Amino acid sequence: MTNKNHAEVAIIGGGIVGCAIAYYVAKAGIDCMLIEKGDLASGTSSRCDGNITIVDKDPGFDSLMSLASQELTAELEKDLYLPFEYRTQGSILVCDNDAEMEVANEWVNIQNQAGLKFKLLDHSDIRQESPYFADDIPGGLECETDSLINPYLFCYSLIDRAKEYGLKLHTRAEVKQVSKKEEFLIETTNGSFTAKKVVNAAGVWAPFIGKMLDIEIPIKPRKGHIMVGGRQKPIIMRNVMEFGYLMNKFQRERIADPETLKHGVALVLEPTESQNFLIGSSRQFVGFDARVDFNVVQTMARRALRFFPKLDDFNIIRTYTGFRPWTEDHLPIISAVEEVPGFYIAAGHEGDGISLATITGKLIEEMISGKETTISIEPLRYDRFKRKVVHM
Amino acid sequence: MNSHRILDHPVLGKLTIEKEIPFTFDGKKYTGYEGDTIASALLAQGIRTLRVHEESGSPRGIYCNIGHCFECRVTVDGTPGIRACLTELNPDMIIESGKQQFSPFKSTENQDDLPRTYAEFEKQLKGEKEDEPDV
Amino acid sequence: MYDVLIIGAGPAGLSAAIAAREWNLNVLVIDEFLKPGGRLLGQLHQEPDGKWWNGIEESKILLEKAKELNTDIRCGISAHTIEKTDHGFSVYTNEGILEAENLLIATGAAESPAPIPGWTLPGVMSIGAAQVMTNVHRVRVGKKGIVVGVNVLSVAIAREMQLAGIDLECMALPAINSATESHGSPKKVMKALLRIAHLAPSTAIRFGSRFMKGDGTKALAVKFFPKSGVKMWGMPIHLRKAVTRINGTNQVESVTICDITADGEIIPGSERNIEVDFVCIAGGLYPLAELAAVIGCPFQYIEELGGHVPVHNEQMETPLEGLFVAGNITGIESAKVARAQGTLAGLSIAKRKGQNLAKLENQIQQAKMNVRTIRENATIQFHPGIEKGRSRMEEAYYDIVHG
Ligand SMILES: Cc1cc2nc3c(=O)[nH]c(=O)nc-3n(C[C@H](O)[C@H](O)[C@H](O)COP(=O)(O)OP(=O)(O)OC[C@H]3O[C@@H](n4cnc5c(N)ncnc54)[C@H](O)[C@@H]3O)c2cc1C
Ligand SMILES: Cc1cc2nc3c(=O)[nH]c(=O)nc-3n(C[C@H](O)[C@H](O)[C@H](O)COP(=O)(O)OP(=O)(O)OC[C@H]3O[C@@H](n4cnc5c(N)ncnc54)[C@H](O)[C@@H]3O)c2cc1C
Ligand code: FES
Repeated sequence: MTNKNHAEVAIIGGGIVGCAIAYYVAKAGIDCMLIEKGDLASGTSSRCDGNITIVDKDPGFDSLMSLASQELTAELEKDLYLPFEYRTQGSILVCDNDAEMEVANEWVNIQNQAGLKFKLLDHSDIRQESPYFADDIPGGLECETDSLINPYLFCYSLIDRAKEYGLKLHTRAEVKQVSKKEEFLIETTNGSFTAKKVVNAAGVWAPFIGKMLDIEIPIKPRKGHIMVGGRQKPIIMRNVMEFGYLMNKFQRERIADPETLKHGVALVLEPTESQNFLIGSSRQFVGFDARVDFNVVQTMARRALRFFPKLDDFNIIRTYTGFRPWTEDHLPIISAVEEVPGFYIAAGHEGDGISLATITGKLIEEMISGKETTISIEPLRYDRFKRKVVHM
Repeated sequence: MNSHRILDHPVLGKLTIEKEIPFTFDGKKYTGYEGDTIASALLAQGIRTLRVHEESGSPRGIYCNIGHCFECRVTVDGTPGIRACLTELNPDMIIESGKQQFSPFKSTENQDDLPRTYAEFEKQLKGEKEDEPDV
Repeated sequence: MYDVLIIGAGPAGLSAAIAAREWNLNVLVIDEFLKPGGRLLGQLHQEPDGKWWNGIEESKILLEKAKELNTDIRCGISAHTIEKTDHGFSVYTNEGILEAENLLIATGAAESPAPIPGWTLPGVMSIGAAQVMTNVHRVRVGKKGIVVGVNVLSVAIAREMQLAGIDLECMALPAINSATESHGSPKKVMKALLRIAHLAPSTAIRFGSRFMKGDGTKALAVKFFPKSGVKMWGMPIHLRKAVTRINGTNQVESVTICDITADGEIIPGSERNIEVDFVCIAGGLYPLAELAAVIGCPFQYIEELGGHVPVHNEQMETPLEGLFVAGNITGIESAKVARAQGTLAGLSIAKRKGQNLAKLENQIQQAKMNVRTIRENATIQFHPGIEKGRSRMEEAYYDIVHG
């Protein structure tokens, strides 16, 4: 009875979000397929870091969503067969100056009041974190529940298990046209498919899929660079970001040199399981230009040296860029679309797609099955942008 | 010693040695010739292993010999990551082979055992050493 | 600010520098190796007329010419990345940033890896590595070895090792796996091998070439390929034996070899070990073109040229203003072709500076003809259908620039 070219639910996009949706939908026993234009994780999900963090989320809905995701990821470690370099070591933020230290102090208080496991770190704690830190770092903060994964492996691991639950996988199939009569017709470069419901999980490319159904999706690419530092001696055990990262993320004012500010550069240093180091990152709106910008890379390297001056003899083995699917209010769209019944959007996770993938998958499954959702989906609705336009 | 040199060649003729160049590799003294790379000077002494894999400790030597594969990384006068096959041998160079490195995250079986800070990692390291006094 | 910066001092880069210097351009050549000459340095073949093609001598000739013209050539400098600026290009190197109005990328080719289990052991190296050790550094890579992978390059280099007195057990194929596919198939290898039959005074290979009239008969040539291999210069070349594994603890001690069918499948029970202390792997060449990619030069995949190649026209110009390419980065061919391409590129760059155009145009036409003639008469051909590949590239260039 199972038809290769038809399913109850078709998911477009095999990034971390599409893979997580495929996993939860298949696990719920729903007949589903995933359609991806290249290989799995060939979009943003292989051109990023792997942090599942709360440390950088606004207290409230944002941090609640991340916490739910962290708990789900811990469950997944038991259900998935292929390991995905999952590490629960917490993560830290470091401050550049005393002014940041003051805000950090407030930040910790607010997060603690919200019941989250945050702790302020002083100068001597910072020395415990890594002997390679600069001496003048005043301190920082820790979030105990944060974890790390390898997003690329995670995608393959999710799909490996989802296939066991019955998922049909179509890779190297670029969706060219989507139309709807009684059911959806999805035409690709590798065959045509039909489905009752369609989930648009095409990340930064979701607007193109939307357009095929005359749906405008306000997501823009926000480019980021990452350098890969070659393996050497261990430097630090867990992910570290600078507090300035938060300032950038929420477009708040931050004190740093002009180049750093211009390219939206803030230190992120993630030690991977193989002991390479992902050093990031930048935030820029430059369309879909994926070229490595050497000025940005230099600025990032300078920023890394500000915090880790002894890294100056490190080998950088490669540099890459990725596009964060940005939305205006920094929240993803995880929503049904009223105009086209049966059409869902799960995209626009900007710099949090790794953190929020599992909860997104779970929510979409719950929406499709008509269950009560794990967390409120009000703030994630597609029509929130339209409402705003009307009010203006 | 340089016993692996091709001194005579039917087409290229006799090997002409302009100048000898002294250097040390992993603390031992050797001599190479002017025009040698680090890799050729070592191979001429019969030395093939330039580093060990950082994680597994398995031995590695040159592969491409023209700068593309990065298999030949050594530390020269304190600077790590130098390609032995591209780098000219200079007098009194101090060359060290690449060593095995710690892999603090390999034991992901029990998440609680993972070190969170560098200080914890050092402590674990010491603990291991006490467990196995003969290493 | 240089008129032109040339990355790569191989035959293409050096001859381009000479042509550009003859037109009085301000030229800088950089190369990451410690001597100029590129892959030409290691070459040593006997031409069909019996004369030796001696890469060291050929490099010397180019270098002397360049020196007469006061060409600035700096070795030990690696280009890491390039950026297009308003006035030209910034090239980032281990010795700082270099600026130039025009840029010629002549980085040549690299060898594709052909991984077989055990290939990370010291004593295993690419065939090109052995060439450089033997002919440039005059160091013996081992006492007795085996060459895995049979192609134009590996046959030529095996001969070079023999000349230097290095003992080779034999040449054989790599066992087929996903990474060694075409190098492990006797039929495909046979086809390639026949293109160098004229270099090999071997009756068996000429015997094979009689079967090469039609496609269907190629299989026969492999079928009748002698079990004991054919000998070239006294060394057995096996197309029906494959190396499955390289063994050893701290370095190479032996290889495991087995018999294979004409399709490359292992014949069970035929495995045995041969003691060797070094192994050379030959996986074929591909254009080394990353630097052209990072500045956004369009690429085209053309199998006949060896893979992904930066799009360029017959004058060696790319669609990016001021960016030129020459030599093996444009497709895998012999050093003579690379040298001729370099001259042409040097002249094209001079033309962009807009001097004495009539005379220059005349030289460009001649240089173009020269590339074609040398290509037609090449004794060493890495890929069949090179001309076809070249005309496909012309079309790709036309499509991008005019289409
Ligand atoms: C430098 C950088 C660092 C980051 N670090 C982190 C971090 O530490 N933590 C975190 O939480 N987030 C991080 N992010 C953000 C995160 O990477 C993204 O939010 C996430 O990868 C988005 O996943 P996705 O599945 O929505 O998109 P993608 O991974 O881009 O997946 C979309 C898929 O859709 C496919 N597709 C597109 N069009 C079509 C079509 N027409 N037909 C079929 N398939 C199509 C694409 O090929 C692609 O595979 C980072 C991002 C960047 C750029
Ligand atoms: C290992 C090997 C062996 C070969 N053997 C033969 C043979 O025996 N016979 C034959 O006919 N052909 C052989 N070839 C083909 C050879 O490529 C051509 O014969 C010819 O040398 C090509 O000339 P070229 O100038 O294009 O490049 P090359 O001669 O390869 O010169 C390129 C130069 O660029 C330099 N370079 C590369 N990247 C950078 C960078 N990022 N920064 C600075 N410098 C850089 C290199 O060090 C090199 O010196 C061989 C090729 C290889 C790779
Ligand atoms: S041996 Fe390949 S880079 Fe040195």
